Amino acid sequence: MKFQLTLAARYLSGRKLRTFLTTLAIVIGVMIIFGMGIYLPSFMDAFNKSLLSASGQTDVMITLKTGEAFSASSTLNRIKRIKGIETIAGSLERTINLPPDFYGKDSPVSALTLTGVDPSVAPKLHDYRLTQGRFLERGDGKVAVISERLADEIGLHVDDTLKLPTPEGVVKLTIVGLVPGRTLIGNEQVLVTLTEAQKLFDMSGRISVIEANLTSQDEAERDAIINTIKTQLGDTYAFGGLTSGSEFAGAMQLGQVVFNMFGVFALAMGGFIIFNTFRTIVAERRNDIGMLRAVGASRKTILSLVLTEGLVQGIVGTAIGLGLGYLLGVAMIAGAGSITKSLMNIEMEVVVEPLLIVVSITLGVGVTLFASLLPAWNASRVTPMEVLRPSSGQVIQHISRLATIVGVVMIGMAIAGLLTGVFAFVALGGVMFLIGLVLVAPALVKPIANIFGALLAMIFARGGTSLLAEGNLTRQPARAAITASATMIGLAIIVGAGGMMFSTVGTVMDMFGKSMGSDFLLIPPSVAVWKGDVGASATLKARINAVPGVGVVSSLRYAQSTLPPSAQTGSKGETVVSVLGINPVEFPQISSMDFRQGNAQDAFNALAANDRNVIVNGILATAANLNVGDVIPLVTPTGIKNYRIVAIGGEVLSMKINTAYISQASMKSDFRKSEDIFYQVNLAPGADPSTVEQRLSKVVENYPQFRLVAGHDYTAEFRQQYNAIFGGFYVLLALLAFPSLIAILNTLAIGVIERTREIGMLRAIGATRRQVWKTIVAEALLLASLGTAFGIFAGLYLSYVFVQGMSASGIFKVAYTFPLAGVLAAIAVGLLFGVLAALLPARQAASMEIVQALRYE
Amino acid sequence: MSLIQAENLTKVYGTGNTAVVALDHVQLTVNPGDFVAVMGPSGCGKSTLLHLLGGLDRPTEGAVSIDGQALAAMSDDAVTELRRRKIGFVFQFFNLIPILTSIENASLPLLLDGKNAADIKQKAVELLTKVGLGQRLDSRPNQLSAGQQQRVAIARALITEPILVLADEPTGNLDTRSSDEIVDLLKQVAKAWGRAVVMVTHDPRIAAYADRIIFLKDGKIVNDAHLEAKRTDNAEMVSHMMRTIA
Amino acid sequence: MSVRHAMLGLLAQNPRHGYELRAAFHALVGGKKNWDVKPAQIYTTLTRLEQGGFVAEDGIEQDSGPEKRIYGITLAGRELLAEWFACGVEPGHQQDEFFLKLMIGLASGVADPYQLIQNQRTHLFQKLHDITKQRSNIDPGRELAMIFLLDKAAMHLEADLRWLDMIEGRLDEIKRQPLPEPESKPRGRPRKT
Repeated sequence: MKFQLTLAARYLSGRKLRTFLTTLAIVIGVMIIFGMGIYLPSFMDAFNKSLLSASGQTDVMITLKTGEAFSASSTLNRIKRIKGIETIAGSLERTINLPPDFYGKDSPVSALTLTGVDPSVAPKLHDYRLTQGRFLERGDGKVAVISERLADEIGLHVDDTLKLPTPEGVVKLTIVGLVPGRTLIGNEQVLVTLTEAQKLFDMSGRISVIEANLTSQDEAERDAIINTIKTQLGDTYAFGGLTSGSEFAGAMQLGQVVFNMFGVFALAMGGFIIFNTFRTIVAERRNDIGMLRAVGASRKTILSLVLTEGLVQGIVGTAIGLGLGYLLGVAMIAGAGSITKSLMNIEMEVVVEPLLIVVSITLGVGVTLFASLLPAWNASRVTPMEVLRPSSGQVIQHISRLATIVGVVMIGMAIAGLLTGVFAFVALGGVMFLIGLVLVAPALVKPIANIFGALLAMIFARGGTSLLAEGNLTRQPARAAITASATMIGLAIIVGAGGMMFSTVGTVMDMFGKSMGSDFLLIPPSVAVWKGDVGASATLKARINAVPGVGVVSSLRYAQSTLPPSAQTGSKGETVVSVLGINPVEFPQISSMDFRQGNAQDAFNALAANDRNVIVNGILATAANLNVGDVIPLVTPTGIKNYRIVAIGGEVLSMKINTAYISQASMKSDFRKSEDIFYQVNLAPGADPSTVEQRLSKVVENYPQFRLVAGHDYTAEFRQQYNAIFGGFYVLLALLAFPSLIAILNTLAIGVIERTREIGMLRAIGATRRQVWKTIVAEALLLASLGTAFGIFAGLYLSYVFVQGMSASGIFKVAYTFPLAGVLAAIAVGLLFGVLAALLPARQAASMEIVQALRYE
Repeated sequence: MSLIQAENLTKVYGTGNTAVVALDHVQLTVNPGDFVAVMGPSGCGKSTLLHLLGGLDRPTEGAVSIDGQALAAMSDDAVTELRRRKIGFVFQFFNLIPILTSIENASLPLLLDGKNAADIKQKAVELLTKVGLGQRLDSRPNQLSAGQQQRVAIARALITEPILVLADEPTGNLDTRSSDEIVDLLKQVAKAWGRAVVMVTHDPRIAAYADRIIFLKDGKIVNDAHLEAKRTDNAEMVSHMMRTIA
Repeated sequence: MSVRHAMLGLLAQNPRHGYELRAAFHALVGGKKNWDVKPAQIYTTLTRLEQGGFVAEDGIEQDSGPEKRIYGITLAGRELLAEWFACGVEPGHQQDEFFLKLMIGLASGVADPYQLIQNQRTHLFQKLHDITKQRSNIDPGRELAMIFLLDKAAMHLEADLRWLDMIEGRLDEIKRQPLPEPESKPRGRPRKT
């Protein structure tokens, strides 16, 4: 093995440029997978931490599965007396998303966790270790104990006043003590008495967490006690902290799939490049290999020789890719941090999962090894007779008829799959289409090269350079096709993703205009991920209604729920559902939904009828396989309640999140929520917008958790945020386009090296340096044109597949928009890359010394 | 026992109308210490004979045994191993690996055999010194003259202490002086070290070094001349020669 | 012929007596075994040269033995030597015995011409082999001249071998052509008409 390693290392260092370029291809693939892999889980992690409360200090922690508050009397009292419980207490915990700059400009605090505790019991459950002041006492009113870190961050001390937004407006609490910060990074804690917390949030008699310490340390006994509690409370409760993910998880998983797809595509390109390089390497070394065989290397030795070389490149490339990927992840977290923070109130930190490292390494090294497998096999088939032949006989590559036929069949099947409109077939078809195109590519090289060759001939009118270039390509159709394929995949993704984005943005903005078309909006700090938002009690709505010039006001209320597994087909776990309460009379006047099943009229009437009726959105209907007329059990703080689906549809803000819309009346009775978290306001006919805006802002002044925005401003803002998110995609696209540059550069550089003698001959019989240069550039342009043509073709198909897939998946309907800008960008990028890639090899070829070139072996 | 035993060796390339008989029922035995030159016009089958003797190719008919082992009965891997252990090859184009040093190139067969690295190196240095390259141990092929490269190749052929060295036009790419040196070296391999050397050449001057010359024509051996040195009439022959010239 | 010129050349180097001359000649051609010149030939040649006025007595050496005449080159001798150096040497290979053998073989049909070629080839290779062997025993540091001489012999043999190859390759063509015959002259007196 050492011998293989030595030889591999020598060969690799012998052709530094080529080694660098091929390794770079792997580096980029691994970098994308690893970088994205860091970014997304970090994002999720931060997300979860900001929502979930810290746990673990107590033996048992009981919450409602939905995370909502529940009645203290019906639960706490029921289990209080269970034998074996030493201490038990209920507390009310809420995350409070803070409006931007709530504690002064550039304050790092974006959210808090407010916990109402029983001052007499809580110190027995948690060791609060006060560092200053005192702990809460029974009967304390508007006083709070806060964490030291929070105090530091907002510059407050004991006896100072802490402002907090609540449904009743801003309240002021006097700080009486400081506790050390939580070990777990997350939202900083504000402790008040339970009674005060219930008052602040208008949740009298309700708690959200029960914590208990047990008398026994014995594992079996403890399990027995916990089981007793479980049977007492029923299965709507969760033990040991919040187990539920979040309503955002579904959307994030979709994102992860998309990002992983990018990474896999990048790696696939890397694979192509490696494959191409190794083919050439094997062709170049037929003589060496023959000699090795003649002097006694077995087929296995040759095989392992080439594979070792691949392995070395794979390992080095993967190692560097991991390093760069880490930096990419960190950079993205830093870069995207501000967006996510403003949009969803989340702060991120870098998290690297061990599994991710394993997957990245496996993929990086695996793809390289896989790509070098076929060339290595071919190498092992080289007969020892090869050594006795004079060197550098070019191996003519035949176009495999079988591959072409298989490719055509695959493309045919892909199109058939597309026509079925079934998501699985459409998605599978996308992959098959790409593979099919790669297989067909060699056969297409000649005709396409002829067409573009003719075009080039018009540009490079004299000197026969384009003729030579065309000849060079058609002589090695397989290699040209592989390079073009790498370019193709890169560009296909640009065009495909471009098409998808244009279609999606167009559709979403359309929906947005429909749903958010009101004159004014009162929006909380976090839109769509409502959970941490602090709303307002009904008084605010009344006040807004009272403002002269205001026509209709519609509000949204929020509660979290879950769909038990029994209610769904195909899904094993519980599905987290975001429940929005609407006023079925006011809502349709001011906003609207996109319905996939059922219609607006009937749906809203059904909701108004005050039965347990529900409208579910597309993503939820798809995930749980729901249809109109189905009855779904929703977990509520008052037990499981059955709702009948009257329509499937949704509005734009919640389109990526499992959402169920019920009437505010049902929400109040079943979820005990009457807090408004989002308002839409329309002007009365003839009212002056600016006067009304002034009046409204006066009303909202005391509710800093809301931001008053004019409807058209918000639309603009939303579009901007959407573009910002897609900005990240563009960076990725650029990263993907980069390997195709390498692929072209690599093929050309290899082509120049291989034809060194030929170029020397050309120069000897009188070709000028300039003509040689032109030949190589023309060849690059041809290659790039090939790749671009394939790429655009495939990209258009892919974007159509994306759009069809999106519609077929039922998440929401997207209208196809032709990605003209994407196509133009692809042409520009493709040709530009072609020329860029040609510059280096062309210079190398042109500057060759004739005599040395002729002597080259 | 003879080292090479070839019976009815026949090789046909192609089939039907395009079939070409490269070797036609050739019988051949070679003994240890033999230095054999194979001559004949181009296309006479001399390279084919060498390929078959070295197990690089399989005969259409007939059999070869090397050192008592019949090649036909062996698997590809076994033949490979036989080549590695018992046969040394010297090629017209040297076929050194450009990225390896003299020592490494010479060591290749032993490295392939998975031998101890330190021993291999010592042996390579010893051999390279013997072939006169003691000063160019760490040179790459492109830093060596053609003759020096062929010396490295010979060292490579000898490093496994093969019982048989097969050389295909070993001087085909060398100038006269290097040719003489190389063929002299091969002769030593046969005479001083007792290996059998079979060398294909088209150069009579090179062939004359051998003590046995086999002439092939149209795939058949037409003459098998043993040139035993006859010291006695040697002087007389030269003087006669000189006089004719004068 | 050339021995005469060689003797003149050696005398141009130094005046010497007959015995010395013979020794110097042998040394030059690599020993008696290569090209032996008998003392008688030396003395006859010297006498003729003296008669022609190309050499002249340059003194007498008298040691313990009989007296020895020392010869030196004359002006005329130098001119003759210069003439020799100036003209080329005729190669003399037209009277080839093997050629004769082959043609007789072809003409008579008694011997297989291919076999003749094989025999000759083996013979020539034997010679070449011997010369090669002899050559490899010579130290090029001291006897380079000798090596050149042997090289010449080797190269001539090579040429002969190549010539054999050529004949062998085209023997069938020769066979098809009519053998060269003497012009047919009527024997005896012309017939009466």
